[in-house]
Amino acid sequence: MDGTIAELAAAIRQGKASSVEATTDCLDRIRRLDGRLRAFITVDADGALVSARALDADAAAGRWRGPLHGVPLAYKDLCHIGGLPSSCGTKTAEYFIAEHDATAVSRLAAAGAVTLGKLNMTELALGPFGDNAHHGHAQNPWRAGHASGGSSSGSGVAVAAGLALGALGTDTGGSIRLPAACCGIAGLKPTYGRVSRAGVMPLSWSNDHIGPMARTVRDAALLLQVIAGHDPRDATSRPHPVPDYASSIGRGVAGLRVAVPENYFFQGITDEMASAVRGALRQLEGLGARVTEMRVPDPEAMADVCNVIARCESAAIHTRLVRERPEEIQPVVRARLELGFQIAAHDYLQALRLRARLTRTFIREVFAEADVLVAPVIPEPAPEIARAIEGVPGTVAERQGRFSRLTRPFNGFGLPALALPCGFSDGALPLALQIVGRPFDEATVLRAGHAYEQAAGWHKRRPALE
Amino acid sequence: MDDAKAQQAALARLRSAIERAAGDLSLEEEPARFVAALDDGAPGETA
Repeated sequence: MDGTIAELAAAIRQGKASSVEATTDCLDRIRRLDGRLRAFITVDADGALVSARALDADAAAGRWRGPLHGVPLAYKDLCHIGGLPSSCGTKTAEYFIAEHDATAVSRLAAAGAVTLGKLNMTELALGPFGDNAHHGHAQNPWRAGHASGGSSSGSGVAVAAGLALGALGTDTGGSIRLPAACCGIAGLKPTYGRVSRAGVMPLSWSNDHIGPMARTVRDAALLLQVIAGHDPRDATSRPHPVPDYASSIGRGVAGLRVAVPENYFFQGITDEMASAVRGALRQLEGLGARVTEMRVPDPEAMADVCNVIARCESAAIHTRLVRERPEEIQPVVRARLELGFQIAAHDYLQALRLRARLTRTFIREVFAEADVLVAPVIPEPAPEIARAIEGVPGTVAERQGRFSRLTRPFNGFGLPALALPCGFSDGALPLALQIVGRPFDEATVLRAGHAYEQAAGWHKRRPALE
Repeated sequence: MDDAKAQQAALARLRSAIERAAGDLSLEEEPARFVAALDDGAPGETA
């Protein structure tokens, strides 16, 4: 499957393609390629084809479900979907069960999407490299043996490899943007509260975000359009109206104020990563954006705050697993969970209070001067998996912290952040940038991302897999 | 330093960073003001 969601949805609407053809194409690719890519944990071939046939019958009768009619998608294995197990990357086949299907998945299905299956992920969504001892390490489609990025590893791989047209991921410290960056696709972490978390296994209630992963920014916008908006089943989802992203995505960036952080984000990254992001900024400037350097309020403080909150909340959520079946958890995941038991309630609450103040300050100071902020996503191209996960848990955890240090602050700030490719390394691995916007201003983030993507053209490259 | 000690040191650094930064928090600061900050920072809304 080489096309985009937008192209396939239009072709189905015009009678030039069918959902069964598209679904069969994806299932064939999964059969041929996923033995080595390890993007899926569960493939629901029968269910997908039943659904595709029903959608084609509806189309023939002029009954259109919605903008994704007939489009095959896949979901991270922590989204509850009735009839399919949710291992959440653990050894337990049905680790997570919810009262209802995940709202985001239900909304996509109601819009006409076909469910191909459930995608691989880092165990319990804890880890940025995409390794998983239980289900196999998800492989980077651009270079075998290299990390896919995580924790939404299968989502990144499936989309980049054309096994699915789009996917859902979740992002607690970078888990949508890291695999998007490593796999060379678009991945959006929306504003905290923009997309319902209902029916999705939590890792850290305060930091969890659900968002789309797709080949293009326009496709990510199409998916966001469907899943965004208030949900009474998620107390943290906000009632802000959802704009029509398609109507503004093509408006360009003339006059858009783009800030480049002087501090933190360009420290400790490779030269080729820095050079690619700065090249993208020059390209945005060439398109009419007004690019200026800015010293931003220290993101390190927010990274610490996020770490404390995430450690405490994840330990609380997974207490039973850690206490009753610790031998089932990978050592580094268990070590990170156990840290949460050692943090005092006082420190956790201070972190939550600090988060409020840091967020207010960051929004006030940055967005008084800029419409979006552009920064790198990962400090280096996707590392070799074996090297990334070697060593004792403390060493691996430190390496994980370095790899996610550029994404984690925006989980704390709750701001929308879009990762997309901005070049390739000497080793033929994707390089990436992230575009960060005001709260609930995904429209501007998507508009800037789309303008750059169309000018740069990196999204047209495909990994050579066959 | 062995692994357990290294992890304890990392935790101690984290705790100390939070304690230092929280030293001058105002009495009215509370966790719910995070969501208020996002709501206040949203652009003018027209669906």
